[in-house]
Amino acid sequence: MNAKLIGRTSVRDNIKLSENPSYPVFRELYEKQKKAIWFPEELNIQQDALDYHHLSVEEKDLFDTAVGYFSSSELLVQNVLVNAFFPLLTDPHAKMSFSTQLFMENIHSDFFESVLQSFGMDHAAMYDVAFSDPFLRKKQSLIVEEIDKISYGKIDPETLEGQKQVLRAILLNNIVLEGIFFYSSFAHFFAMKEMGKMKNVASGVELILIDESLHLQNGIEAILIILDESPDIVEDEAFVEEMRSIILKGLQLELDYIRSKFGQRSLLGMSYPELEKYLKYITDRRLVELGFDPEFNIHENPLRFLQKEDVKKLINFFEVSSTEYTNY
Amino acid sequence: MQRTVIKRDGSEERFRTQEIINAIFEIIKGMAVEDDYELVFRIIKELDLKVPERVTTEELDVLVLKAIEHLIPKHPVYDTLATLQLLKLINKRVGRQFSSFSQYLKFNIETGYLKEDLVQFDLKTIEKAIDYDNDRLLDYFGLTTLRDRYLSKDREQEVIEKPQWFFMRVALGIGTTEDEVIAIYNKMSRLEYLHSTPTLFNSGTNVSQYSSCYVNVVDDSLQSITDKLTETAFLAKYAGGVGTDISRVRATGSHIHSLNAKSSGVIPFIKVFDTMVNSIQQGGRRRSSQVISIQPWHYDIETFLELRETTGNAYFRTPSLNTKLWMPDEMMKRIEKDEPVYLFDPGECPELVEAVGDDFSNKYHKRIQQAEAGELKLFKKLSGRDFYKKYLFKLAKTGHPWLTFKDAHNRHNPCPQYGIINSSNLCTEIAIPNNPESTAVCTLASVNLARHINADKTDFNWTQLESTIQIIVRALDNVLDKNYYPSEASKRNTMDLRPLGIGMMGFAEALVQLKIAYDSSQAVEVAQKLGQFFREKAYGTSEQLAKEKGAFPHYEAVRKAGKAYAYPARRNAVLLAIAPTATISIIAGTTSSIDSYFSNLYSRDTLSGKYIVINKRLIEDLEIKGLWNDEIADAIKSNNGSVQTIEALRGKIDVNLYKTTYEVHPKRQIDLAAAFQETVDQAVSKSIYIDEQLRAEMEDIYLYAWKKQLKSTYYCFIDKVIKGEKYTSEVNKRGSRKGFGRQKLATPDSRLKNDSPDGLKTIELEARAKFGDELVDEVKKGNQETCPTDPLLAKLCPSCE
Ligand SMILES: [Fe+2]
Ligand SMILES: [Fe+2]
Repeated sequence: MNAKLIGRTSVRDNIKLSENPSYPVFRELYEKQKKAIWFPEELNIQQDALDYHHLSVEEKDLFDTAVGYFSSSELLVQNVLVNAFFPLLTDPHAKMSFSTQLFMENIHSDFFESVLQSFGMDHAAMYDVAFSDPFLRKKQSLIVEEIDKISYGKIDPETLEGQKQVLRAILLNNIVLEGIFFYSSFAHFFAMKEMGKMKNVASGVELILIDESLHLQNGIEAILIILDESPDIVEDEAFVEEMRSIILKGLQLELDYIRSKFGQRSLLGMSYPELEKYLKYITDRRLVELGFDPEFNIHENPLRFLQKEDVKKLINFFEVSSTEYTNY
Repeated sequence: MQRTVIKRDGSEERFRTQEIINAIFEIIKGMAVEDDYELVFRIIKELDLKVPERVTTEELDVLVLKAIEHLIPKHPVYDTLATLQLLKLINKRVGRQFSSFSQYLKFNIETGYLKEDLVQFDLKTIEKAIDYDNDRLLDYFGLTTLRDRYLSKDREQEVIEKPQWFFMRVALGIGTTEDEVIAIYNKMSRLEYLHSTPTLFNSGTNVSQYSSCYVNVVDDSLQSITDKLTETAFLAKYAGGVGTDISRVRATGSHIHSLNAKSSGVIPFIKVFDTMVNSIQQGGRRRSSQVISIQPWHYDIETFLELRETTGNAYFRTPSLNTKLWMPDEMMKRIEKDEPVYLFDPGECPELVEAVGDDFSNKYHKRIQQAEAGELKLFKKLSGRDFYKKYLFKLAKTGHPWLTFKDAHNRHNPCPQYGIINSSNLCTEIAIPNNPESTAVCTLASVNLARHINADKTDFNWTQLESTIQIIVRALDNVLDKNYYPSEASKRNTMDLRPLGIGMMGFAEALVQLKIAYDSSQAVEVAQKLGQFFREKAYGTSEQLAKEKGAFPHYEAVRKAGKAYAYPARRNAVLLAIAPTATISIIAGTTSSIDSYFSNLYSRDTLSGKYIVINKRLIEDLEIKGLWNDEIADAIKSNNGSVQTIEALRGKIDVNLYKTTYEVHPKRQIDLAAAFQETVDQAVSKSIYIDEQLRAEMEDIYLYAWKKQLKSTYYCFIDKVIKGEKYTSEVNKRGSRKGFGRQKLATPDSRLKNDSPDGLKTIELEARAKFGDELVDEVKKGNQETCPTDPLLAKLCPSCE
């Protein structure tokens, strides 16, 4: 077999950066991620403390769960990358890009940790929420159980089967977890900001959104490259169908979770039907990005307030922490 | 889905779309709407997704509002609709509590919220003057800002003031006769000018704090530091921003005689201010804020530059403070010529602090000679260019310290006998002599230029502008005597100098109305002309006031002492100051200060949430030419609010009129500020917006600002390069790669088989969005009787291909 992105590696190999990288896209993504680096200290989260104590019971529950979910999921992403994926990465530029992602997950988990502490939230309970909440547990299990199968050298990357397994892992991690589950919870924070609540925390989440969209690109690129290098994978229709259904299964679990939180009422100006449509919209995008046909054909993001995340931002510095200054 | 509405009394009924439709038609009534069914349909479609299975009537009101609000970027008509809906909600709620303005006044005087003397006026006349139609001048962002922050509320945080009552309450707190009150009310409620935020908050209430800014000076003693800390605490508490000059405080390692020990320098004291300011919330409505100003020859300057870094020793970081340099010409000259700059200890070289211009240069040279001769205990020599580069790097990275110019400020000091100008305020537009015993205070108001354009949009309406300026001078002068001064030092300064700060907003919007490009030389000429006009009319009124009520006391004092100033007697030492108008320009619905449009489509983070702002003048222009539609809207969005490169608009509109902030070269931004600065007696607060591409030119840009004799530069914004994935518009990340799609495409029955499957796919997606799935499927099957006429659909039709 020729050199591939995924393969068996040793500590001796791949310790040279070539001026002509095999995968220039990862050098690009590395540069982009580097420029996006920020630190939790730049945000004055403490200023949301008053807000936090004035949230309604339901809002607080939604906020707490989202924070708790992210707190442990940021670390989960790290685990997946380190245990399942990293040992098999052959290209030094790709490693730089993915290890920058790793570093960014540190920042995120540091950020959520400071949120937990600023508002006196129940630290242990928050970290447990991803497994104590029955709906979140299902989401988390989908990722964990699949990844378990390939961790600790259980697969041989030189085989077609091995390549498929790695692909599945990236798909679950970078597409389903970061690209669907995370995007679902992002909307909750932005809806709060929309209502003028928890603005500084939401500013941090805006930065995380930028980071995660880059991570998503890491994942998409890795998958497209693997498919390109092992054309046999797409010949296996059953496997392709399975990948598609994993994405849709992720969506279903997310919808169940949203249903459990929103039920029949509206919260933060949002209600289940529009969130359902939003998640289907996001899922369609993920499918199309990987070359699948869209499932729902929804072409407009129904959460229109999210377009505020898309356009240039002007801030009154005396009122809200800025997310527009660059460290680079 | 069966949905239930829970009414106020707890009873339940079925949710019926028809009732909402009727309610929306009710709002539209009287509006010039092209296709009201289309409008209502879009809102209902939006709302339908939002309404949960069980909803209260109050919730429903809010959801209807949200549904309309989210359509605002589609068309300004939704902005008007959302405003009307919100007005209805506010006026209804307040109306339930008070039947008239007089009743509202009396009730709130009783509760102690409003001042008793508001009822000295003839309330019938006042009540008659209120014009509720002016509500319609507000736009949605303006009205929500008013509601969330400005309209008075009771203890339960319920609004108790209608928007027009708010304007009248403010006017009553300023005017001295019915006529004056009504004149002020009319101007404000028509959004022709607005007072600054603290005045709008507090006018007429028992918290009579009308001023926006204070500038105090800390002397080199523990006594002075603690005194100024106390003063700052009280100034900040009453919603003012405070500027504090700390240049006199001795540096690290300086000798303290009384203790026979070495000083730990100025930084630890700055940290104390940081902690204090963080702990005070300005009246709960705006965070208290302070800027610390220092002359950059101060021996501790290198640590000072780091104060806003976010990492490092927490005792040397001041996250809650703003910082700024008070830069003398002598140092700028040295930087320009790449000569060394020297740092000194103000404890050892106190004469440098108050010296300005050539006097400063002479004293600085003398100290340099001493330093080189080994006669100074404390000094440091740095490369001028390196120092400047390091400073600009910090400015770009942390946004601080801002660069303001000591000598430009002092060259135009109208009262040198009172003292030098030791530093400016938080927003860098105030330039008033001050000293450790006299704290400068300024009370501001800003003219909305966009509402001073003549009917045929060929020029400003100069007569109207003159009357606005005259009213403002009198209004602000009244305020000086009604204001509550939190400290003796601040009262002293005002009573000696009676300074006013008249500024402007809506400059960019006015230029668009007059069809003048913001970055043209014609715009610079307009700026000069406007500045001269403001100066002439404001000074004329102040001179008139001096005849009526007397000149400012310091003027009289020096005249009596035989050292009279050369200019004619006037009521106010200074009158003009161009403030950033960050929030009041939102209320007025126009562009801030003399800034350009930030972008044609952008979002703003404020205390009350996040808002989308669109350039209404652009849409108006496009609409007249029949060019405004969803595709153009999307194109503007995907171009980050720029219209410069949109092919469909080329040659159709003058895109130069709609350049966004980063598309205007920083030097031209500076030219405009400099044009105003020629006649503005205080300062022009000017943020500089730098495109990432021009970042390497920062050294040049800030030298240019100095040479053009700007007094102040405020924030430095550098366009951020890395954005997140677009959330609401489709992005093609896969390019032409097929990914998992490869296997599908190989099958012979694929309808999308084509040379460029991706292109077709996009077309299909577009068509589906535009015409719906049903029609598109029919077309694709070739089942239609005739081929489609729409070009988009034709591309999908098998027989057309
Ligand atoms: Fe993350
Ligand atoms: Fe991530």
